[in-house]
Amino acid sequence: MVTESELIRKIKDNPAEFSAIFNLYYKPIFGYILRRTGNFDDTADIAAETFIRAFIHIKKFSYRGVSFKVWLYRIATNEVNMFFRHQKKQQSVFDRVDFTDKTLFNHYLQQDREELEAELQQHSQFLEVLNALKTLPEKYQNVISLRYFEGKDNKEIAMILNMNEGTLKSLLSRGVEMLRKKCNQI
Amino acid sequence: MENFEEKLANMPKPEISDLKHQDMLANALVTARDKSVLSGWWLSVPLYMLAALLMKTVFVPNTTLISLIHELTRTQKYSSLFFFVLVPVVFIVLNFMAVKRIHYLSGNPQTMKLLQMVWFNLLIIVVSLLLLIIYSL
Repeated sequence: MVTESELIRKIKDNPAEFSAIFNLYYKPIFGYILRRTGNFDDTADIAAETFIRAFIHIKKFSYRGVSFKVWLYRIATNEVNMFFRHQKKQQSVFDRVDFTDKTLFNHYLQQDREELEAELQQHSQFLEVLNALKTLPEKYQNVISLRYFEGKDNKEIAMILNMNEGTLKSLLSRGVEMLRKKCNQI
Repeated sequence: MENFEEKLANMPKPEISDLKHQDMLANALVTARDKSVLSGWWLSVPLYMLAALLMKTVFVPNTTLISLIHELTRTQKYSSLFFFVLVPVVFIVLNFMAVKRIHYLSGNPQTMKLLQMVWFNLLIIVVSLLLLIIYSL
């Protein structure tokens, strides 16, 4: 069984090993972004952008009490925040990457889109809460989604968002209260 | 308030079962990076030859690097053309394309960030240019 640190070392020696990390974390990161945006196309773009960033910067990654998974969640959170801040549609990541068979890739992407859009539609209550959450400031969106949508504990959220647990608790408390009021208005 | 927190935590959320596009995307990303980093070892041959010529100027009286390169051009026309012109030109073109590719892939980053990512490619371009200049003197 290869440990995470061994895997990172292998990737630093041979970038092709990155696919192992990709296969391990793409789905959870994709799920996290989907539960932040509620939109398949935005999620696919942000998730791919997250892994491109991770791939480009992996040589700079070093364990300092932060695992690779936490580092990926941190990049994904930044990418989601950037997306919400700017909202301007950049050229899609998928237009910037060469695929061996673009038609087949688009076919798979379409299948995933149909499946996940159906999944989203089955969770109308979640989407209502998500829409209310999106009206809150970014810092509350980050902590609430990681705590209640992803089920992360305070220690892990504090590491992902690079803040102390005290600050996190007060953000959570205020954020939940603000979200409750917003949800009552719906 | 606690009720609301419980509701948030226990509310059904969209889940992902399988992503069919995942494998192809992984391959495309890895290949893109592989293509962007080119081995600089190919430049070691002309650099070794240059170092040998420089050493020769130290130990053989009345010789200069330029005169030795001219002599090399006369005696080893094709191999000198290959190592001092063709290899550097190919490296300049390929690394220039790699820099453009990384710039494109990383979504038009700031200049400093881009420099951190492509410093090796730029170094290869500079060394290749130096070889071309020295050969053309």
